[in-house]
Amino acid sequence: MTEIEVGRLLRANVYEFVAGCRVSQIDTPSFGALVRVPQANDLHIYGLIYNIHIDDDGLVRQLVTTELLDENTIADNRNNRNHPLEMSVLCVGYRQALQVFHMLPPRPPLALEKIILCDENEVCQFSSSGKFGYFRHILRSNSFAYEELLAAHLMQASAVHQNRGNLGWIQQAAQELIILLRDDYPALMNVLNSLKEIYNIHNLTV
Amino acid sequence: MALDFQQLRQQIKQLSAFALTREKQLQKTRELAVELLSAYSSDLEGLKTKIQRITLQKNHLLRCARPVNEELSSRFATPPLPDFATILAADGSQISPDRHLEIQYGLVNVGAFQTLFGKSCTPTLYTQSQLLFGELISGLNEGALALQRDLSERRFLVELAQKAQPPVISFTDGPMELWVGRETTTTESAQNQSAVQEYQTVLSNLCQLEVVTAGYIDKPSSNLVVRLLEIGMASEQDMTNIVEYHPLHGVTDRDLFTFLLAPGERSAIFALQSNSTALYQGELALHFFYVNVGVKEKTSIARVEIPAWVADHPEMISNLHAVLIQQCRLLGSRHYPYALHRAHEVAMVSYQDKEQVTQMILNEFFQHQIKTDALSEKQALKILSGRTRINKF
Repeated sequence: MTEIEVGRLLRANVYEFVAGCRVSQIDTPSFGALVRVPQANDLHIYGLIYNIHIDDDGLVRQLVTTELLDENTIADNRNNRNHPLEMSVLCVGYRQALQVFHMLPPRPPLALEKIILCDENEVCQFSSSGKFGYFRHILRSNSFAYEELLAAHLMQASAVHQNRGNLGWIQQAAQELIILLRDDYPALMNVLNSLKEIYNIHNLTV
Repeated sequence: MALDFQQLRQQIKQLSAFALTREKQLQKTRELAVELLSAYSSDLEGLKTKIQRITLQKNHLLRCARPVNEELSSRFATPPLPDFATILAADGSQISPDRHLEIQYGLVNVGAFQTLFGKSCTPTLYTQSQLLFGELISGLNEGALALQRDLSERRFLVELAQKAQPPVISFTDGPMELWVGRETTTTESAQNQSAVQEYQTVLSNLCQLEVVTAGYIDKPSSNLVVRLLEIGMASEQDMTNIVEYHPLHGVTDRDLFTFLLAPGERSAIFALQSNSTALYQGELALHFFYVNVGVKEKTSIARVEIPAWVADHPEMISNLHAVLIQQCRLLGSRHYPYALHRAHEVAMVSYQDKEQVTQMILNEFFQHQIKTDALSEKQALKILSGRTRINKF
């Protein structure tokens, strides 16, 4: 199967990394998507996109004030100027020798490594491996709204599992989250509110 | 503290008082200049004759506007845009050889921007970087390097124009008249002569390709038309020493055309009378006009230099005028051609770029075990980091 490259790595540590991509690649990555960074020795680092940001500069700020912005000027600024679209990715596990671990990778990926968008098989394999151990990486974070990231990830992953006839995956994921957040009522309510939308989409009941 | 702000404060007050007095005096001279522009507007032949008399007296120092066939105070509104045009802009920057560094090299970087007007597409960027070393930098001063840069810009334009879909409208930043400086040695003189010859060839190529080419001068400080008015008002006695005759001193053409031109309007086309007139003859003869690229709330006057093959061609002038206004509207409140700004962005060599090039050369030398010179003591001290404290108190 053809791999979809969504960008290249700019900077990283074992907890998270930032990837840059061209604006022409913007259609592929999405918030909450599972991505993979292939490394040497059959090591693959998995991460969830938790933010996508677009920076500006003086010229862009100047251009937004003009009334006569034409298509060519927009295309020039999007495609030619040195403004990578940046994706922040949370490390949630890795795969080595075909075995998936929901632990932080042994070392961060290196600069300019390819970032690959995981296909349905990989999403299925990663999310059904073990017992949702990767949720703890998401819940630990305090630098972004993790309930939104959870909701986006669960929505994408549950759709994949549903396509494969695994209707119980989302229910198991919800139960695991309830256990993990049992001592943090406000956080649990935030997550459950997000989950409600997914349940509505899939016509599920708690 | 590097500056004594107390000393400066007093001087700033003096500057402000001086500016106020000067502005009052200048206002009267400006009003006189505007009156003269109107008075001499249709006396094209009289003015031409006077200029001819001065130049016949071998006065090569005369630098002024020469009327062509449009009245001096003519104004032309923005014409309609062409249906299609390839817009090309080129700009250059350079790294000068620095004797304080470990290695001696220079660099000329030319950036070009190409967009298709009237067709939806992503513009194309081009870069041409040339490393200068060995004989090429022997005795190379700032002026000679700038000349090489200017020539490279124009050569690059020809190269791109040959492949571009006509009609092509091209811009460079600054005057079209090549600034060759004052040569002090015979080598410099030969180099300048060779540069001018090459420039003439480049211009001839652009002419053959029927490229509308222009040099764009933002916020011009020249007084070419003002000087023409001074010649107009000069008596027979004043004519004998016209070089020293400056009754409108301090007034610039920008002052005149700020008063005259409404947004989007261009002035009459003038020929450039200067000591370089002999170098640009026939189709290459340099002309210029002023244009108000601003809006009602903010006037912005630019001078546009063009060769004769453009000046003599009404359709080319019309397309150039219309495209310039369109380009200057693209950057909102900053009225400058977008294509030129982008060419500048592409061409610009930053300090970091220079550091990187130097490092690349040093690495290459190191790999081949080539000895390099040491960094000068002065430079080494300059790049020392600032004073740091060991303790945090």
